[in-house]
Amino acid sequence: MMKKTPLLCLFFLACSFLAFAQERTITGKISEESNKSPIPGATITVKGGKKTVTADANGAFTIAVPQGKLSLIITSIGFGTKEVAVGAETGTVEVLLSVDNKQLGEVVVTALGITRQSKTLVYAAQSVPAGQLTGVRATDNFLGSLSGKAANIQFVQGSGGLGSGATLILRGNRSIAPASGGNSGNPNNALIVVDGVPINNTTFTTGNNDFGSVQSSDGASDINPDDIESMTILRGASAANLYGSQAGNGVIVISTKKGHKGRTDVTVNSGIGFEKPFALPQFQNTYGQGNTGLIAADSSLSGASWGAKMSGQSYTNFLYIKDTYSPQPDNVKDFFKTGLSLNNSVGVSVGGDKTQNYFSYTNNYAKGIIPGNDMNRHIFTYRVISDFSKKFTLDAKATYILQVINGKPRTGEENSPVFDVYQMPRSVSSATAKNNYQTLNTFGIAAPANWPSTNNSIYQSPYWMTNNTFIGESRERAIGFASLRYNITPWLNIRGSVNLDRTSDEIQQKYQQGTLLWNTNAGGSFAVTDVTLTNKWYDLILEGHNNITPALKIGYHAGAIYYDRLYNQNNASTNGLNVANKFSMNFASNPATTQDGAEILTESVFGQANISWRDAIFLDASFREDWSSTLPRPYTYNYPSVGLSALLNELTTLPQAISLLKVSGNFALVGNGGIPFVTKSSYQFDQGAGNGSIQRSLTYPIPNLKPEQVKSYEFGVEARFLQDRIGFTATYYHSNDHNELVPIPLPVATGYATQYINAGNIENHGVEITVNGSPIKTKTFSWDFSLNFSLNRNKVIELSPNLQTFFLGGADNRTAQPEVKVGGSFGDLYGYVWSKNAKGQHQVQADGTPLTTKNITGSDLSYLGNSNARELMGLTNTFQYKRFNLSFLIDGRLGGIILSGTEMNLSFSGVTKNTLPFREGGLSLGGVDATGAAVAKTITAQQFWQTASNQRYGVGEFFTYSATNFRMREFSLGYDIPLPNTNIIKSLRFSAVARNLFWIYRGSSVLDIPGIGKRKMWMDPDMANGNGLFQGVEYGALPSTRTLGFNLKANF
Amino acid sequence: MNMNRINKFHLLLLGSLILFSLSCTKNYDEVNTNKNSIATIGPSTLPFLFSHAEALSTVNNANYQIAQNLFADQYAQYFACEATYFGSDRLVINQAWVGANFNPYYTDVLPQLQTIFQNTDSASAEHAMAEVVWVLTFMKATDYWGPIPYFNAGAVAVSVPYDAQDKIYADFFHRLDGAIAVLKTHAGGNAYGSYDLIYGGAVDKWRKFANTLRLRLAMRVSKVDPATAKTEAEASVADGVMTSSPDDDGFVKRSSTGGDINGLSTMSDWNEFRMSATMASVLKGYQDPRIAQYFLPTAKSADPTPGKFANYQGLRNGLSVAQLTLSANLAAANSHQGQRWSSTGVTVGGTIVGSASYTNTPQNVIETAEAYFLRAEGALLGWNMGGTAQTLYESGIKNSMAQWGITDATAVSNYISSPNKPIAPGDYLNSPAVSDVPIAWSSDPAVQLQQIMTQKWLALYPDGMEAWADWRRSHVMKLYPAANSDNQLIPDPSTKWLRRIPFLLTERQNNAAGVKTGEAALGGTDNELTPLWWDKN
Repeated sequence: MMKKTPLLCLFFLACSFLAFAQERTITGKISEESNKSPIPGATITVKGGKKTVTADANGAFTIAVPQGKLSLIITSIGFGTKEVAVGAETGTVEVLLSVDNKQLGEVVVTALGITRQSKTLVYAAQSVPAGQLTGVRATDNFLGSLSGKAANIQFVQGSGGLGSGATLILRGNRSIAPASGGNSGNPNNALIVVDGVPINNTTFTTGNNDFGSVQSSDGASDINPDDIESMTILRGASAANLYGSQAGNGVIVISTKKGHKGRTDVTVNSGIGFEKPFALPQFQNTYGQGNTGLIAADSSLSGASWGAKMSGQSYTNFLYIKDTYSPQPDNVKDFFKTGLSLNNSVGVSVGGDKTQNYFSYTNNYAKGIIPGNDMNRHIFTYRVISDFSKKFTLDAKATYILQVINGKPRTGEENSPVFDVYQMPRSVSSATAKNNYQTLNTFGIAAPANWPSTNNSIYQSPYWMTNNTFIGESRERAIGFASLRYNITPWLNIRGSVNLDRTSDEIQQKYQQGTLLWNTNAGGSFAVTDVTLTNKWYDLILEGHNNITPALKIGYHAGAIYYDRLYNQNNASTNGLNVANKFSMNFASNPATTQDGAEILTESVFGQANISWRDAIFLDASFREDWSSTLPRPYTYNYPSVGLSALLNELTTLPQAISLLKVSGNFALVGNGGIPFVTKSSYQFDQGAGNGSIQRSLTYPIPNLKPEQVKSYEFGVEARFLQDRIGFTATYYHSNDHNELVPIPLPVATGYATQYINAGNIENHGVEITVNGSPIKTKTFSWDFSLNFSLNRNKVIELSPNLQTFFLGGADNRTAQPEVKVGGSFGDLYGYVWSKNAKGQHQVQADGTPLTTKNITGSDLSYLGNSNARELMGLTNTFQYKRFNLSFLIDGRLGGIILSGTEMNLSFSGVTKNTLPFREGGLSLGGVDATGAAVAKTITAQQFWQTASNQRYGVGEFFTYSATNFRMREFSLGYDIPLPNTNIIKSLRFSAVARNLFWIYRGSSVLDIPGIGKRKMWMDPDMANGNGLFQGVEYGALPSTRTLGFNLKANF
Repeated sequence: MNMNRINKFHLLLLGSLILFSLSCTKNYDEVNTNKNSIATIGPSTLPFLFSHAEALSTVNNANYQIAQNLFADQYAQYFACEATYFGSDRLVINQAWVGANFNPYYTDVLPQLQTIFQNTDSASAEHAMAEVVWVLTFMKATDYWGPIPYFNAGAVAVSVPYDAQDKIYADFFHRLDGAIAVLKTHAGGNAYGSYDLIYGGAVDKWRKFANTLRLRLAMRVSKVDPATAKTEAEASVADGVMTSSPDDDGFVKRSSTGGDINGLSTMSDWNEFRMSATMASVLKGYQDPRIAQYFLPTAKSADPTPGKFANYQGLRNGLSVAQLTLSANLAAANSHQGQRWSSTGVTVGGTIVGSASYTNTPQNVIETAEAYFLRAEGALLGWNMGGTAQTLYESGIKNSMAQWGITDATAVSNYISSPNKPIAPGDYLNSPAVSDVPIAWSSDPAVQLQQIMTQKWLALYPDGMEAWADWRRSHVMKLYPAANSDNQLIPDPSTKWLRRIPFLLTERQNNAAGVKTGEAALGGTDNELTPLWWDKN
């Protein structure tokens, strides 16, 4: 019980604040004037008296006052001060406060659904207005809408088409924890909390290497932005500490809509968007299919475009048909469809006095840019809040999501349709390719037709892939909670809630007979995977606040959480079907089934207190103790946080121009219980080897597993000037991730491949700055801007004495190898390079081709760069002129590299633009031989690019680009359609929106190849093969898209 | 409301919360146990461990390409590489891949065998058979690298020392001698039953297998330790090696179930390797009927009938990237591995020639023909091998033919007496015949040894792992020098050749201290040119 002392102290502290006078009692409710939503934390004072109380989270207050008429003074940060006259007999008052823009005082939802005024926070919190999430939408994953809108967000979209998982990282990477419990997504993903509870945001499969994979949806992609009422980004561990283990990565806190008292609202939103590929490789349109400058004698054998100059010659094409040898500049573009997204939602809010209801239905229907890829998602939400007695309030919500995604393209190099289409010879027309991808046998079964592949064991016609293979994902998800709150006294309440988040996915993969790589037996191959994730979260929280003196106030929370995560997976697959292309397990010729599953139980108790003095100095402290089933006995660990902030403008007299000046600092620890099943050894069964076989697990158990710990501190300053017309925040943060659970390789001769150890110290530190302002504000015209800037520096300070380098995925050295190395940074990429001698001169071989380190057996991989941005920034400008609203977002990043495996491989085939110069020879690289003597020999483009590329296993340096870029991320032009006051429709807004409009700046290739020069980056570094830890390399990733859309929003 | 009430109420509440949390950790151990695995091994599960060890000791499908095909199979010149991007055929060792011939032996075979050793009587057939699999396994590893972690393998430590190859071979003989003695006491018995993927548990066959393996190892050390070689070889023959194909042949079962596919079949549709020019020169020159089993006519041939020599084509090992992109060297222009390893997607002249059951093709481990060729070579060395070099040589050919299903006695005897020699393979480089060694037994002892080694090379197909080790050991049979070398250590492949695989980079990273002991035990620089202990060429 000793460890519980902080909790008990809090409790006794709370109890000692009780003080009552025997006077009459007035109760009241304080709400915002415009939307009637409650304002928590307002201060209520009796005019001329000393008594002060604070409104609770629902805006309710009770105050004991003397008999007789009097006035109450109500003040709240961000709202005007209001004086309310109270009659002698009145027992209740309703107070409406209007927003005072001068104070710009935000109320934010922080950890565990606790609402706080932003000025009282001791840590950085940034809100993103809900309107910014529903205007210009990111089609694949709603998290994409956050890019550039808040500081220090690095967003990467996994490349599996509609509904794909994504990665959103706040304040840099810190964890190299391996995939576990059905999640192969990035362990550095921010935690997403909806209505007080972390939601399941796992990714079942993703491309954690450059061969490719099926990219699953994540949990965040099903969030309906139309249901969001507010979103707060808590970047630091201090802010997130109460969420426990996953909070070290920062938290995105989302509160969803609810009904409001005495109001009936209907909102209808309807949007349509059109999408086109935004960043395609650049192709050459001069030379056609062939080799060494000649049209091949047999065009069906190889698809390289190192042939003759295309001038409409007659030749025999890959189908052995006479054809014209002429440029087909659009044969890649033609493959892509214009994506379409339809978004229709209706939200109804009906608020009675005691019960408020909110219902919404949203339908997202989208067709992707890859033929056959579509998604249909239905989201139903119902929420009810009911004060069913004076003391009890029920808040319950149910969300049901039904989502079907068809025709998901594989991501990566192998069998991804985009990678297949990119390789089409430059002389093959879209029509020829599209109409001749298959032949039917006498039974009507398709077989692949001749195809001019650049590697006929892997690359197939893209039209075969989109027509004769199928990957589908269907998801059912139910999220619900019921929370009951009991007001013990006006200043103390207890609430208990039960939360359930259950996601059920079925992933089907069908590959018709004849599909390369995926079916080696007759009939085709078929796999069905069912994954179920169930999160159960029960909590009980005691919440209270007291004014010890008018100047000294305290708010506190104490509670317990029971959190159970259960994951189950069933796979059935068959390589071979007895009836060709009959995709049912009943027809399986080699059926195989496997099961997987894991459970993690975490139980916690926590306490938190925030003390304010004169509404100017704020002290926050929290403590949490967890018991995690993943740990050895006694399973427990704990972590505190403490923070302090001061409003200097309240404490001293500052020049008039300064309307607010706040300084803050905090320190926090966050623990993480690690992954299941690593404390004990086990034996696995395999279906193969006759009767099946059993082997000991390759992982040496870690019986003394310790929790991972993120230690962080931050300092911030916030200032507002000229009556809040302009303001800024600046935050410095520093975090160290200790005791990470790292799977280190053991010498295999021990009989084990890996051992988990607690090791390491990965440090992130950086600065975040936001500036907001309203330079112009007149009755008819206003201009607001919001700028954010962040920089993050990451350093791997320590791993373990036995581990100096940790390899993250992609270990085949085909493109680049991400290595976490002591002294380096997370995201460092290593690969083969163009060899240099001691003098720094590039070396070439006797035939004039570059000598690469790939040619030297056992040569170490060289440092290519780091894939993470060094600085991130975003600038939103909003202009309002009468009924017109124009807004645009420019965002960008500085630093970091991206390596294009796509370009590497395509360069081997001569289809890309970079392979155009020196086709007929004469390229002198100006390099030296082993003795340092200049080599005069010239080479052809084909010799050069085929050496640099080596096709599938290349020399990464040649295809590495600076990922620095700026773009017009979002653009929106809205018009509020004038309506007569009597109209049933209260407001009606039409807007035209666009996303990824154009590049403002793009980086270039890192190598300046003599004679060829630097090339501009063509790919979008925000589009990655997957959303796991393997980042910085794109290899067959889908092109990102440009969206143009229209939106109509009506309020009734 | 009074303060006492609140106090008590909340103390009670908080207290119960904490107790609730504490008491609920009772089931934590159960929660944290993987329901889809087992925690302990007992007698009923032990045979499954043997199956796993056998499946992995014989290079399974997941490892086959990078353990064997890209290295030994190409260096034995069974196949030449079609893919431009691997580089191993141009003598560059990719040290990230070749670990597939190392790591699984320690992580997949060793733990299961050591568990069997601990849980069985050392006088049992189960124990003895596990000993044989142990030797088979670590032979593959030491014959790539020389020194390997051996005597201390299986102990958990931050590093595991390497041991010298002579010590390892001594232990191989020790273990085999012991195992053979134990198996003798179980004559006619059965161990592991259907869990034994090679002989269905037949102890007598395992004894022949163990003797043949011992004979193979004896021949391996014949130059460096002739005395031991003679003793062990004669003991093996006396105790009984394999004598009759296909009855005695050691094949490991493979199947699609659980993805335990034949490794060569797995690569059927990858089109990354084709028949080597060396194979083309010998098989076409000898008019060897096994060509129809080993390879397919080129995809472009109009005639899918097997055995028409003109329709087979091979390419030289070590072609450059530029050469490989030329039409004569494309996969479609050269011979695919044979029908039994070919999927139904493989066509010749548009006709499907693959086999529907190709994934289940049993995989060669040790076959009878090899025993005869080893004995023939032993006879040339003057060892008592129970026959003359010529009769043993000819029996080797007959058994190899029988193994591949060629049972026409006349055809086989005509072959044995044929004066045919290898021919120019007609490849892109216009290579000459690889050698002038005829089939018919020569009177010249120098030619006789070449004949034995050439026929043994043919018979070992597709086991490039053994063929490459045997070639490095004997260095008798002629192979083409690699057409190009990208390896800086081998500027001229006609004068220098790969002798071994350098120690793994992963071992340098994860077992640095161990590798240091390996370098000392190697007795030379850790590169491709340092010969192994038994390589005296």
